[in-house]
Amino acid sequence: MKRYGMTLMVVFGILALMGLLMPSPAPAARVVKIGVIYPLTGGAAAAGRELRAGAELAAEIANGVMADLPMTMAKNSGIKSLGGAKIKLIFKDHEGNPTLGADLAKKLILDDKVDGILGCYHSSVTKTVSAVCEQYGVPMINGTSTSPALTKRGFKWFWRTTPHDRWFTKDLFELLKGLTEGKVRGVKAVPKKDIINLASACEKTEWGSHVSRLIEGLAKEYGFKLRKSLLYAAKAADLSSEVRSLKAARPDVMLFASYTSDAILMVKTLKAQKANPKIIWGQDAGFEKPEFRNTLGGDIVGILTRTVFLPKVVEIKAIAGKVNALYKKKTGNDLGGASARAFTGLQTWVHVLEKAGSTKPADIQKAANSIKIPGKELVVPWAGIKFSTSGEELGQNVLGSGLIGQYQKGKDGKVGLEIVYPFDVSSADMIFPFPGY
Amino acid sequence: MEVLRNALDFSDFPRVDLCVAALVASFLLIFPLFHFSSFAMATMIQFLMFSLYGMGWNTIGGYGGQVDLGKAQYVGIGAYTTSVMLIRWDVPFWVSMPVGMSFAVLWSFIIGYPLFRLKGHYFAIATIATSLVLKDLFEVWDFVGAARGLEISPIKYHPPDFLRLIFKEDVYYYYVILGFFFLGIFYVNWFRKSRLGFQLRSIKDNEDVARSLGINVHWAKVKTYAIATAFVSLVGSFHACYIKNIEPEDTMSLDISILIALMAMLGGAGSLWGPIIGAGVLIPLKSYLKEWLGAKAGLVGIDLIIYAVIIMLISAVEPRGIWGIVEKARRRRSV
Repeated sequence: MKRYGMTLMVVFGILALMGLLMPSPAPAARVVKIGVIYPLTGGAAAAGRELRAGAELAAEIANGVMADLPMTMAKNSGIKSLGGAKIKLIFKDHEGNPTLGADLAKKLILDDKVDGILGCYHSSVTKTVSAVCEQYGVPMINGTSTSPALTKRGFKWFWRTTPHDRWFTKDLFELLKGLTEGKVRGVKAVPKKDIINLASACEKTEWGSHVSRLIEGLAKEYGFKLRKSLLYAAKAADLSSEVRSLKAARPDVMLFASYTSDAILMVKTLKAQKANPKIIWGQDAGFEKPEFRNTLGGDIVGILTRTVFLPKVVEIKAIAGKVNALYKKKTGNDLGGASARAFTGLQTWVHVLEKAGSTKPADIQKAANSIKIPGKELVVPWAGIKFSTSGEELGQNVLGSGLIGQYQKGKDGKVGLEIVYPFDVSSADMIFPFPGY
Repeated sequence: MEVLRNALDFSDFPRVDLCVAALVASFLLIFPLFHFSSFAMATMIQFLMFSLYGMGWNTIGGYGGQVDLGKAQYVGIGAYTTSVMLIRWDVPFWVSMPVGMSFAVLWSFIIGYPLFRLKGHYFAIATIATSLVLKDLFEVWDFVGAARGLEISPIKYHPPDFLRLIFKEDVYYYYVILGFFFLGIFYVNWFRKSRLGFQLRSIKDNEDVARSLGINVHWAKVKTYAIATAFVSLVGSFHACYIKNIEPEDTMSLDISILIALMAMLGGAGSLWGPIIGAGVLIPLKSYLKEWLGAKAGLVGIDLIIYAVIIMLISAVEPRGIWGIVEKARRRRSV
């Protein structure tokens, strides 16, 4: 019996030694799960499709190797510092509903065990989702919500790459000021009295109401008269009374903050009522969606919109051209403000993970707070990405900037956006005044 | 004592109903022990909230036959009272909730008194209008955050906070709303057997006959409307603490009003179990269809189509809702 026990011990000892000497099998490639919450149905579904495609393209580039793309994330397959871990996107549809957004965030965090969150486009939904992330200590990067209030809450788990509406709205007033000073390409100095009267109509959730306030404040600061300022429901089936009210104010400049379906309806109603201001400006969102251009065609020539990306950026930024070509191959459309920022949002996630070398929330937090992505890596024309870690705007990218584009008819007869602001990168003469209907 | 006895007395229901109800109640009590997903927990909380909304609606809409499509305004009053009192003056939920209910009831008297001069479709349209007007007012009222709404900051309070109803884990919210849910059932059980309950049913059957019997029809409707309002406002207060962010577009939208009426009607208006069955079918159906099919590439929106088709099918088969189907089957059996 004693001998039998000895034999067993020797056998087990040899087996244990073999176990130590044998090379361990290669660990299965890790996966980093990012929950992506976008509006895939409802009034902003068109934007949702763009956002999804932008984020998916960034994930495809990060997970593969594209040697001809001068981007750090295209050089490695997956996250190098995490042993080549692949990015897995888990999409959820919030329908533009903040309550649903919060529920989906909890599901992603507690059930799907995501390592981080990207989203949500609507500022109102970003607000509830970021609050859930804050409560659970899960990092969230936001690429497309522009309400200034989002980064003024002192949250430690929330970072925003896009510039916010205060910057964008200031750009508009700089453009108006430039018009009076003769700085705009192709337009002689316009007397201020000719463009002094403004009127605004903004959708009435978190985002639009903030823009409305900003317009009010900046109009005063720049010496313009805001003769009418109204809020409307983005889901409204009819905007004729709103347009009548705007027209009654006899504005020189009409300013809008609208999502897709309401932006289309607004322009249709402006046309039906033969509104004739000298300038029509949209605060991005609906005004720069492919659906806006495809539905309204020639009726939008002369309309201005702020954005962060125009196909014309391709001419001044080679990397944007290459990514745009990939995006066009995938979707048939050019990159727009939404898709380019969704792309940049996920790209930022990849850089943060690469720097963190871990999926622990505390490591990600540390990496996000110290990251600096140079502008040459980005498709958007920004100086780069660096998050504010102190002061009023915690987690806000301080290196972003905006563009203002104008719809013009190209030589091929197609309607597209030309850059008119910043003045030093303008790609065409500005059409002024608005040709009218 | 008599009131309590009536509230707890379910003896007029068939035994099979009571057995099913007991099983469901037991399941609800032990549900968190099963450790289902957080999504299942969120769905259950939504189910309980909409059951309570539906129970409130059922008093005036089901027993009274007055189709009210403006309940969202009272959700808003409850939610805003709790949020404003908590954010501005740090008042606990258990104080702000009854204050919100009082404001809502007061508002219901102001609105209800002239509104119940109207009948049928006119009444329904008027309730929608008042709700939308109140929502528009809240959207420009800076004191309550205007269109941006109010946010109960997740970094200001330290969960679990039973006074302010601020929790990190949903299980606490679940048991709080479950407590309200059982209280709601007992209250409606008392209500349907109360003098006011009988008056309302006779008003629903024939208003002129009810009046000839000496019932103050107008006053009975106004009182019941206030009761319905108190229910909805209570859940509104809970909603504010649960979601921690309220804004008029989300809390006071027409969608909420319609959903509340839809749950009760589809489940079976005018019956104790109807609103619970309605919420029990529609809430999980919507949530899980969205979860399984909602964000799948190429199938975006399919969940909403299936959801709509199921609602249409139930309405076409039995306009009195799911409870109507059950009763029809029972009658057929007894024949």
